[in-house]
Amino acid sequence: MNIDLSPEALEYGDLVRKALESAGGDELLQTLESEPERRDGVVSPLLGELGAWDLDPRGSGDELEAAAALCRAVGYWAVAYPVAERLCRSAMLESDGLVVVADVAPAAAIGGSDLRWAAVTLDGRRSLVTACPLVESPRTSAFVAPLVLEPLDDDGGDDVALGVLLPCWTLLGMLDRALDLVRAYVREREQFGQPLAAFQGVQFQLTDAEVERAGLEELAKYALWSFESAHPGSLQDALAVRLAALEAADIVFRVAHQLHGAIGFCDETTLSWISRYSGPLRRLPFGVSETLHQLSLRAGRDGLSGIFSGGAHR
Amino acid sequence: MTSLASPDLEQFRAEVRDWCEVHVPTGWRDAQTGVSDEEFVSFQKQWFGELRGAGYAVPHWPREWGGGMSVGEQIVLYQELAAHDAPRLVLAFVAIHHAASTLLAAGTDEQRSRHLSAILEGEIWVQGFSEPDAGSDLASLRTAARREGDAYVVNGQKLWASGAKYADWCLLLARTDPDAPKRHGISYFLLDMRSPGVEVRPIRQATGESHFSEIFLNDVEIPATQLIGPENGGWQVAQATLSAERGMTMLELAERLGHAGFAWLVEACRRPSAEGLRPVDDSLVLDRLAGFETEIAGLRAMCRSLAVRHETGHVGPADASVVKLYYSELLQRMMNFGVDVAGLAASTRITKPMSSGWESGAWVLDFVGSWEWTIPGGTSEIQRTIIAERGLQMPRA
Repeated sequence: MNIDLSPEALEYGDLVRKALESAGGDELLQTLESEPERRDGVVSPLLGELGAWDLDPRGSGDELEAAAALCRAVGYWAVAYPVAERLCRSAMLESDGLVVVADVAPAAAIGGSDLRWAAVTLDGRRSLVTACPLVESPRTSAFVAPLVLEPLDDDGGDDVALGVLLPCWTLLGMLDRALDLVRAYVREREQFGQPLAAFQGVQFQLTDAEVERAGLEELAKYALWSFESAHPGSLQDALAVRLAALEAADIVFRVAHQLHGAIGFCDETTLSWISRYSGPLRRLPFGVSETLHQLSLRAGRDGLSGIFSGGAHR
Repeated sequence: MTSLASPDLEQFRAEVRDWCEVHVPTGWRDAQTGVSDEEFVSFQKQWFGELRGAGYAVPHWPREWGGGMSVGEQIVLYQELAAHDAPRLVLAFVAIHHAASTLLAAGTDEQRSRHLSAILEGEIWVQGFSEPDAGSDLASLRTAARREGDAYVVNGQKLWASGAKYADWCLLLARTDPDAPKRHGISYFLLDMRSPGVEVRPIRQATGESHFSEIFLNDVEIPATQLIGPENGGWQVAQATLSAERGMTMLELAERLGHAGFAWLVEACRRPSAEGLRPVDDSLVLDRLAGFETEIAGLRAMCRSLAVRHETGHVGPADASVVKLYYSELLQRMMNFGVDVAGLAASTRITKPMSSGWESGAWVLDFVGSWEWTIPGGTSEIQRTIIAERGLQMPRA
């Protein structure tokens, strides 16, 4: 079993990353924040030209992997646009995208979007989003809007796993970037006559962060494979990835901020932007406790299948 | 050590309680949320005046300067203020701790009598230590002071100066001998912030606020009478400032964390969710709360012990670092847990009252704000180095 992304998918991811960099890189996010009404107009055609909206991650393994690589690249530049959510659109509904929502007070980072959105709960209850007004500046809301929903049906069971999984790839991209930023910073910043990177205490914190990120990457790849092979436990696997992503994000951002020192608090530092925009991915549709709770309910007493099946406890 | 349950302290506690019930302003949280700088300053000065009137503003100062409370009395005072959700002295923080310890440790009689009285009248101080290239390696600072007649002429730049916007005076470190080994060429000055050539530029934080600033110094003249400690002996004097930050401030902060922060965390855990479930009914949550309560008990005991040893002059070289490290990382973990428990509501709260503590109940903002304790005042990495090298006598790296 090979859970690595195909070379084509990896190449596609690189292509998207470079294209976003050419389109402004970090300045792209700043533009989206200061001119939120331009969000669709700026990002949608840009990714459209790269074939993003032609991808059907539910259609084939290749397209699924390409979608994951795309989301990771989007996360790398913290492009505040619901790419994963658009890619998760349900095959059965007339809609442009799908967001997974909590049972109560549904919200998503699609504020101000004119697209046709559908929503689904973990239990598979689907709705159409009839309104998602951007009531607050993205500076403080990160485009999160309360959703007005019109219930549709209870048939969204097959839609959920991807809706939980794909945004984790976006978050993984943000963690990739956070680590790149902090590695660059500690190499460059000198105190006591040497780069911070030369201090073992600094190195050890970085390694803790990298181990978390690397673990998430492996788990995310496994969950893709599980989804692609229509594994019966794919929703559990997606929830497991989400849990790992949230815990990894906690550690990676904490280390990144601590090692940046005071400058990490400031707007001038890219890290503070990435950190801010990671918020919706980490809090919606729910945070760590609820993710753990939902995973526990579904994994029950049997646990997760994992790569090595037929374990001793079965 | 006197038991906190002694009759004298119980009597004192009753007095403080009575005072709090009358004097702690009601509705101050709302009144201090989303307000202008002017309203914040005015509120803070008024509150300082009230506390001062009761003899509660500077309990840790020597008796002859308006303090003189025993450690037990201070603890009782801070406990009751926290339990009554009293506003914090944010604006006066540097003045009553950093400036006061420095003046008491190294000031001339004239400097002390001038400034300690002025602080009691509301004089506000800022710390001008860090620079762009002198963060953790403070001793490599480059702001320069050149003696010219009866004054020093200062040029340079300071960074991360908390409250500089409102400050009357500044605790300034500058290099007076560029040829000496770095720690031996630094002098410590008391700088009047209204001096010509001083420019303050607020820095915008990720939270949208500007609690700290850059200070640019262009040919600023400081009279030689405002040198504190000997010329080129500033580094030693600065140790008094730095240890005040890490040591005595902790007494109040620990009591607040225990009596306000933890209380609100428990309250948040008792609140039912939309589905009617309470976090406190989950044994995992109870375990975490029990863990925090234990750690807070440890912290408060350590802070009390440190305060007593400070009075008797028996503070070890790493004691303050242990306390600061413990407090800052506990604060961060507790606020993070508060975020987990409070859920989405906490993440959508974007303002907190300006006169509240580092535990204000706005959990996400408090979590972000907790970096003000693991980074400023000596990073956790620096504290660990001090503990290892000076506390445990490990070889210097």
